[in-house]
Amino acid sequence: MTTEATYDELQAILLARDFRADDRVVQIGANLAAARAGAMLASVGTHPDMRILIGLSVDNLAVAGAVPAVREFSFHARSAFEGEAVMDQGTVFDDTASPDVFFVGGLQVDRRGNVNLLGVPDDAGGWAVRGPGPVGLATMSTNCRGYYILMPAHSPRSFVERVASITALGDRTRRRELGLPGGGARLLLSPLGVFDFDDDGDMRLASVHPGVTVDDVTAATGFPLVIPDDVPETIPPTADELRLLRERIDPEGLLRA
Amino acid sequence: MSAPVERRSVVVSAEQALAELSDGATVGIGGILTNGRPMTLVRELIRRGLRDLTIVAPVAALDVDLLVAAGCVRRVVTSYVGCEAVAGVAPIFRAAVQRGAVEVWDADEAHCVAGLRAAGQGLPFLPWQGGVGTDLPVHNPDLVEFVDPIAGRTLLAVPAIPLDVALIHAERADAYGNVQFAGPGHVDPLLAAAATRVVVQAERVVGNDVIRRDPAATRRWRETAVVPAIWGTHPYASAGIEADAEHLRAFAAAGRAAGKGDPAPVDDYVDRYARGPATHADYLETIGIRRILELVQ
Repeated sequence: MTTEATYDELQAILLARDFRADDRVVQIGANLAAARAGAMLASVGTHPDMRILIGLSVDNLAVAGAVPAVREFSFHARSAFEGEAVMDQGTVFDDTASPDVFFVGGLQVDRRGNVNLLGVPDDAGGWAVRGPGPVGLATMSTNCRGYYILMPAHSPRSFVERVASITALGDRTRRRELGLPGGGARLLLSPLGVFDFDDDGDMRLASVHPGVTVDDVTAATGFPLVIPDDVPETIPPTADELRLLRERIDPEGLLRA
Repeated sequence: MSAPVERRSVVVSAEQALAELSDGATVGIGGILTNGRPMTLVRELIRRGLRDLTIVAPVAALDVDLLVAAGCVRRVVTSYVGCEAVAGVAPIFRAAVQRGAVEVWDADEAHCVAGLRAAGQGLPFLPWQGGVGTDLPVHNPDLVEFVDPIAGRTLLAVPAIPLDVALIHAERADAYGNVQFAGPGHVDPLLAAAATRVVVQAERVVGNDVIRRDPAATRRWRETAVVPAIWGTHPYASAGIEADAEHLRAFAAAGRAAGKGDPAPVDDYVDRYARGPATHADYLETIGIRRILELVQ
């Protein structure tokens, strides 16, 4: 591969590497192209048993005739006729054993891993900044075995001490007190690095992407991160990973746009 | 012996179907994201000049922006209003909410499902765990935390969401209100069961014999009107027509311009595409057969 991976491509590859061996059902919400590509990459490689809820279809790519096309709208109408089952909004919440894995994009994330998709409230009970809404995030983050937080940008405005409103409860202590069944946040990916949560549930820097320093990360974060003594560099995509992604999953280059 | 009475046809025009709807009504809109949005009926709400509506649209697109732009909306019950990469947040909705002109009944997608199901089942609420520990009940005090009497867990009571009318799009319906979807029906059957009255806009109105080829696929509700509306989801998709991304991008750009103080492009859009065309046929003529053919092929 001659060109370097874009951030979207890196996200897809990091996700595909991180799925657990027994992750069997992965659900992808709207407007998350990198998560879609990551799940598809895993399911044509390491995870032949994986079912992906992808747009309006449920599919297994190990036995599929073709990999679903990349389109501007991930919930494309035709996707309902491309899988082995359909994703039906009226019944998708009737089986809380699936999905295993979900993905979360956020306006804001905080030290405890809480995510805000709703917006920033004003003092009068309204909204100073209105976000898109939770979609199914409050429910998926409660039930699924693990979710990934995918931040499109990394700045002190989006990485804050306490989110203005909690849409997904990440705080492990609070989750335990409330008896939430799911496994909570696994990893957070940002344009600067990879993050996980330490034993106390505080966000920790796990690796910095190539060309990024620890100081870059702390300067862009609005709260004190847990920084281990040795912070490795994120292992860059291998030539094989990039080839599979570009040739099989994203031939039209949506993740390179 | 008197002559046999004929089975009643429920096929009407969009205008007739919504003639008795009043200001302040609670209106459910079917579909998910850019799919299955009953736009012929949505545009008829605007032509009627209805105001102060409560719109229940579980995962909405820019149809809510259009209704807000036309001054029809007082409150939105939803989990999302946007258009994927075309508009991360619906711009007209966002601006109206930020200035307090439109109220949002904030809910998770699953809360919308639970609330509609409660209404259909005639229950005051249904319990749900997702959302416990979030700030959704802070923004929406109708979501009430309670301790479940069986296992002692903390849960949310999601109140019933009863509708005056549900507007949905289906692939086919017959004259008697037998309705069949192509592919997933989204949340539409729950919206319909939660509503006093259902208005179905159908891609094709077919004979009862066609419906009988696949009776397992048929949905039916007590009070149903059927409105013929081929390609009636435009600019959104149905099984037979793709979403018109170019049209949606232009409307989203107009919405963003309105947010920056230039309401002219949005006003022009509402006049040209919603208030102007008197019928669905007029709307399709405004879009043009060439564009429609590009989207259906």
